[in-house]
Amino acid sequence: MHFIQALVNGILFGTTYGIAAIGLSLIFGTMRIIFLAQGTFIVFFAYVVYFLFTLLGIDPYIALVIVIPIALLLGWLMYYSIFKEAAALEDRNISLLLAVGLMYLVENIMLVAWTADPRSIVTPYTGLVFRPFEIVIPFTKLIALIIALVSTAGVYFFLKKTLIGTAVRAASEDMVSTTLMGINPNFVNAVAFAIGIGLAGISGVAFASIFPFDPGYGFTFAIKALIALALGGIGNVAGALLGGILLGVIESLASFYVGGGWADAISYGVFILVLSLRPQGITGKALKKA
Amino acid sequence: MKYGICSRVFAYIKDKRHANVTVTALVVFVLAIIPLFMNVERSYWIYFLFLFFINIVIAQGWNFVAGYAGQISLGQNAFFGLGAYTTALIWIHDITKTGYYFDPVVMLLSGLVPAILAIIIGIPLLSRLRGDYFSFGTLGVGQILIVVFIKLRHITGGADGIHVPSEVYSSMAPYYYTGLLLALFATGLVYFLIRSKIGLALRAVREDEMSAASHGVFVLQYKVLAFAIGAFLAGMAGSLYGIYIFHINPDSVLNMNWLFYPILICVLGGTGTIIGPVIGALFFTALFSLGDQYFSIYHPIISGVLIILVMKFMPSGIIGLRDRFSRQK
Repeated sequence: MHFIQALVNGILFGTTYGIAAIGLSLIFGTMRIIFLAQGTFIVFFAYVVYFLFTLLGIDPYIALVIVIPIALLLGWLMYYSIFKEAAALEDRNISLLLAVGLMYLVENIMLVAWTADPRSIVTPYTGLVFRPFEIVIPFTKLIALIIALVSTAGVYFFLKKTLIGTAVRAASEDMVSTTLMGINPNFVNAVAFAIGIGLAGISGVAFASIFPFDPGYGFTFAIKALIALALGGIGNVAGALLGGILLGVIESLASFYVGGGWADAISYGVFILVLSLRPQGITGKALKKA
Repeated sequence: MKYGICSRVFAYIKDKRHANVTVTALVVFVLAIIPLFMNVERSYWIYFLFLFFINIVIAQGWNFVAGYAGQISLGQNAFFGLGAYTTALIWIHDITKTGYYFDPVVMLLSGLVPAILAIIIGIPLLSRLRGDYFSFGTLGVGQILIVVFIKLRHITGGADGIHVPSEVYSSMAPYYYTGLLLALFATGLVYFLIRSKIGLALRAVREDEMSAASHGVFVLQYKVLAFAIGAFLAGMAGSLYGIYIFHINPDSVLNMNWLFYPILICVLGGTGTIIGPVIGALFFTALFSLGDQYFSIYHPIISGVLIILVMKFMPSGIIGLRDRFSRQK
């Protein structure tokens, strides 16, 4: 029973890593960088939700309607104001360092403006728990799972069914040819950024409604999202979600059987193992030899 | 023949081909005599230059791996921290039976242990992973070390870390000169390595691995060697920093900053050049330590803005700026 409970916990929380990983995957696809500031933006949006709730009394889940458009717009503007020139350069380090600079900046603004005290959102349904077959399922975690599934499906259909989505997929495969087909590289990069930050907004909502958070948590979250991405295989939306779930399960089982502190080391160990043994990810198809 | 040596020295200096040597000798000479004109124990500048030297060492380590071998290591904090921990553990467990405080044997061992770790993890990672995937893999190393050091409480003191006896501290001068020596050693090591057969092989690997391999270069061997040398320099810097702070814990020496600082310094100055990391370290140290002093809590915000501005407007670093000007002429 404990095993199943740990498994369920892992799956429920892993989905939040999963949506963050999808954002990373999209930005990595077109820009070829790990957007290390992703976790910091998740924490930033968690604060936005927190203040919408405490100051204006807006329910965290209704806040999604406000957060998603803000996040999409922020991602779009951020690309054009900061990353546009660096995206055209051969040297990927520049873009990576821009992300690091952004992470420093946002994290420390939050630290100065909102202090390092952990915050949490307490709603009437925070303590609500379902107990099917004696398995404890908190309501907020269940909603997080649903949000993750819906947003994954949304991104999946956007990429597969719309023209802009097709352009983003094409750019992830071969930026040069895509540009030669008349697609503006800045446009696809900006779309990837907008959706990436949009997903950070969504994870921010899911995260804020479940766990206490503080400004310093962002980097850890970005690394977790990166691990989820590596587990699932880069460039694969459903894979990124599965990678997140897998990471959640590994962490949950590790802290249950080995002890809380070791969970991190074990997930990093699995990460390095997967990277060296199956770089295409657990769900990915074997890459063709170039 | 009365002025034999003097005139030969002057002739050597006058020759433009030796300009670099002359400038280097002059700078080192000035840095070496600076403490004579200052209150070494009180002066902020001595501390500033000490940080500058440490930053040169960590930057040259990363520069060698990334700039010359083309492998972006994101695990430098692991090697820096391991170097500091090696020094602390040898010291408190009285392992080498030597002096410990500024002991060259301990310092060398603190470089070698991270280098060995780099070889152990470098072989599987570098043989299977290329480019971004290698960077991702190295990112995990520091995180694993943090957990291991926190969890092995009976050996490493857990989250609180290790306190080495701080009574031995008597003056800032040995820190200053050891820092200067290490910075010279790191810069010199990179300088001579890239001019050797190793450097040639590494640049071949960086430009085109496939072609290098087909010309008989053992790609893996050279990549692992570069990774180990980067770790060695980071570990030595960690050792010196460790005996400066006297309190070694995951927060102070395995911190993510030790991963980003070298990258930032190199990109600021110019990666893949000898002098770039030195210039970068000077600007970086000025930016961060003066910012820390005058803007206190706001300084990380300002640093963040500056990182973004520098990357946006001068992505090839300060060296690149010079090239841009000389091309305009």
